[in-house]
Amino acid sequence: MSYIERKRRRRITALVSVFLALVALMWLAGVRRKHVAHSGQVVQFTADANTIVIAQANDADTLDPSDVGSADTLNVARMLFGTLYDVSPQGELQPFLAESYQYSDDGRDITFKLRPGLACEDGSPLTASDVAYSFDRAANPRNHFTGNASGFLIPSIGYEGSHVIDPLTVSIHTAKYNPIAIGLISEMLVMCRQPYEHMSLREASTHPSATGPYRLAEWVHDDRIVLERNPHFKLRQTRYERVVWRVIPEGSTRTAELLAGDVDLITQVPPDQIDAIRNSETAKVETVTSTRRVYVGFNMRKKFADTDGGKAIQDPRVRQALQYAIDVPTICEALLRTPCSRAATLVVPRNDHSGIAPTPFDPDRAEKLLDAAGYPRGKDGVRFHLKLQAPRTLYGDGNVAQAIGQYLTDIGVETEVDLLDLSVYVLLTRQHEAGPLFLLGTGGSTWSALYDMSDLSTQDSGTNYTSWHDGLFFAAWKDLEQTKDPAQQQEIMNGMLREFHEGAPWLMLYFQPDVYGVSNRVHWTPRADEFISLY
Amino acid sequence: MIRFMIRRLLQSVLVIFGVTLVTFLAMHMGGDPTYLYVNEHASDAEIAATRAALGFDQPLPVQYLHFAEGILHGDMGTSLTYRTPAVDVVLRHFPATLELTLFALVVALVLAIPLGVMAAMRRGTPVDGGIMLFAMVGQSIPSFWLGIMLILAVGLGLRWLPISGRVPVLDPIFAGDIAGGIANIPHAIPYLIMPGMTIAFFTLARTTRLVRSSMLEVLSQDYVRTARSKGLSELRVVGYHAMRNAMLPVVTMLGLEMGFLLSGVVVVETIFSWPGVGRLVFNAINHRDIPLVQAAVILFSVTFLVLNLAVDLLYAQLDPRIRLHS
Repeated sequence: MSYIERKRRRRITALVSVFLALVALMWLAGVRRKHVAHSGQVVQFTADANTIVIAQANDADTLDPSDVGSADTLNVARMLFGTLYDVSPQGELQPFLAESYQYSDDGRDITFKLRPGLACEDGSPLTASDVAYSFDRAANPRNHFTGNASGFLIPSIGYEGSHVIDPLTVSIHTAKYNPIAIGLISEMLVMCRQPYEHMSLREASTHPSATGPYRLAEWVHDDRIVLERNPHFKLRQTRYERVVWRVIPEGSTRTAELLAGDVDLITQVPPDQIDAIRNSETAKVETVTSTRRVYVGFNMRKKFADTDGGKAIQDPRVRQALQYAIDVPTICEALLRTPCSRAATLVVPRNDHSGIAPTPFDPDRAEKLLDAAGYPRGKDGVRFHLKLQAPRTLYGDGNVAQAIGQYLTDIGVETEVDLLDLSVYVLLTRQHEAGPLFLLGTGGSTWSALYDMSDLSTQDSGTNYTSWHDGLFFAAWKDLEQTKDPAQQQEIMNGMLREFHEGAPWLMLYFQPDVYGVSNRVHWTPRADEFISLY
Repeated sequence: MIRFMIRRLLQSVLVIFGVTLVTFLAMHMGGDPTYLYVNEHASDAEIAATRAALGFDQPLPVQYLHFAEGILHGDMGTSLTYRTPAVDVVLRHFPATLELTLFALVVALVLAIPLGVMAAMRRGTPVDGGIMLFAMVGQSIPSFWLGIMLILAVGLGLRWLPISGRVPVLDPIFAGDIAGGIANIPHAIPYLIMPGMTIAFFTLARTTRLVRSSMLEVLSQDYVRTARSKGLSELRVVGYHAMRNAMLPVVTMLGLEMGFLLSGVVVVETIFSWPGVGRLVFNAINHRDIPLVQAAVILFSVTFLVLNLAVDLLYAQLDPRIRLHS
């Protein structure tokens, strides 16, 4: 074979190879939307009017109704399990599995009347005995549950036991009257006794037996959870036959899947992806001001008082002055790419009737107040030094913390920003060791100011991360327990919020704007409480 | 040969011991992990009870000894997040990672060997320059960037390949359903291409350079000149005589590359939502799920050691000049 022939043959081979590669890619593109289960059965997920595909960052860590805790897990679990009461899209408490409740005279017993005709996943009747079992199982210390029900709800209401009066009536006995008990109980997922009594804890974590609108069809860990309509649930009509929860940790990948039309709804759109969705023809951005309060905590523990800044923030005048240094709307606009308003107190605005206005951005005033408090600028222009600790991956990937550090430095409070891995940061805050400044977001509610204030229910509460001590504020909780008159309760709460405002244990920032990406093919409105509802 | 194997196995045990110790100490630095396993409203008494229940109240050496004793009994503890044995959780995710790394390795080798040979054969020509430029770019591009670019260009722009997800092949095979696993292959390939290419790219570039330099060295040997002077075709000279010897360093690198690919999956599995061990470890570290991290790291280490041992044995078989006892 001559040199020219060999060269020609090589070129033909190259062309054929490129052609075959293109054919292969086209074939692959043809099968790209198909998904195959372990059995080999091909399942179509998209372009189905009866199916919605939702992508969130994390898989459910358990579907045991007594043990669920994280927001992503709760989103799935709330579709599988009913609750006695729940929160409407407008933020009000409303009857769900129960049709009514009544407090006893001393307020320690709450009697719920269930709706007739409720059913478990197997079609058997759901009765008061099942409700009692749900409470008892969550409260049983031998189960070592750490989720929302056992870790927060049960101790918060002071659960002491339950009493089945008749198949549709159950009484919950608590240690003392709690004005927000119904709201707290609205988070208790109700399960049926029969299937769970025969399951080990391990089985219960992966084999939910539904009492809500959907039942589990498939769970491929770290990949997807497929729910299908529960035929025995007649209480409310859901919009979709099937809900597919896909686990997509990376924000840009979630956005790409949404824009490609492979998912219908994504949570936690990163700020840098918002414009891509807004400018697309296939999806839109939906935002809502959530109940999550983002603030900078002043850690007042003695261990921090050894430093000049740690000592300075023990003075409430300094804490008040620093409030004026931060331009919160600009932070939201520039770094979160979503407008927001500055928070005035720790209570969600719709429930805050204290009349306290958000602190304006006024760095000159901040400087004057610091001068007056006895912290003038030194020769180097620095008043004192602070360290701000924040998680690296939250709050605009650390950008919000960096901006706050710069705003404080601008008024002479030289602030070092220390961005930490989330697991380390969570440990520090839980142990009240973060600080002297730390950036944090904690959940509130739409239905009660008291719930929002319960982070500071006692001076030694686990959620009093700043170790704030204020006699008047914490003593007022006793006053609240003494009255059932809403007007009087409101007056006490307003006084507490004024005390909080003056004591300024938190540098108030904003209520977190939640950003969702929604396909144009679905109509869905976000809720302020982070709950994804499909009713 | 047997003495060599025993010596290597003993070395492997020492390495695994070191890995478990380092992982254990790393996971216990930075504070008491108990707080991650109690509700934020938990009282001091509840925190203390949980600490005792999880064994975090014991001195670190005691905790480590318990852990080491468990390993010897095949028990690496219970995942604090999943509430199931950590080994089970890791093994459940392992087929996905194995699938991805094997695919990446095959892709890297299938492309790197011809490219490296071609560059060596065309040394100093634009073809050689182009391939070396490609190799340099391949070694310079961070995998997370390449992954995102592939998603945007191929997944979102051209819509040729799915952006994320997985169709299992090895899971049904390991479960005994070989036919089911094989039947899934055509559906699995579209999901494998982008993450597989992202992981393979660096290995592909590095192996291409290795094959090229190895081939250049072999092609200058006397026996190649002799083969040519005997009138053998170029295909036979290169493909039979030169390639066999040029592949020796590639085989040596194979075990290391597999380890590199396994470590590289952490980022890629997160970007492409691939439900493998890499992503599992990433989440476990974030949640301080110590038993899970340790189980995963030990599995990775054992895999890496076994592969290297296999490569050493293979190398000895391929090159008779190697004396194992030396």
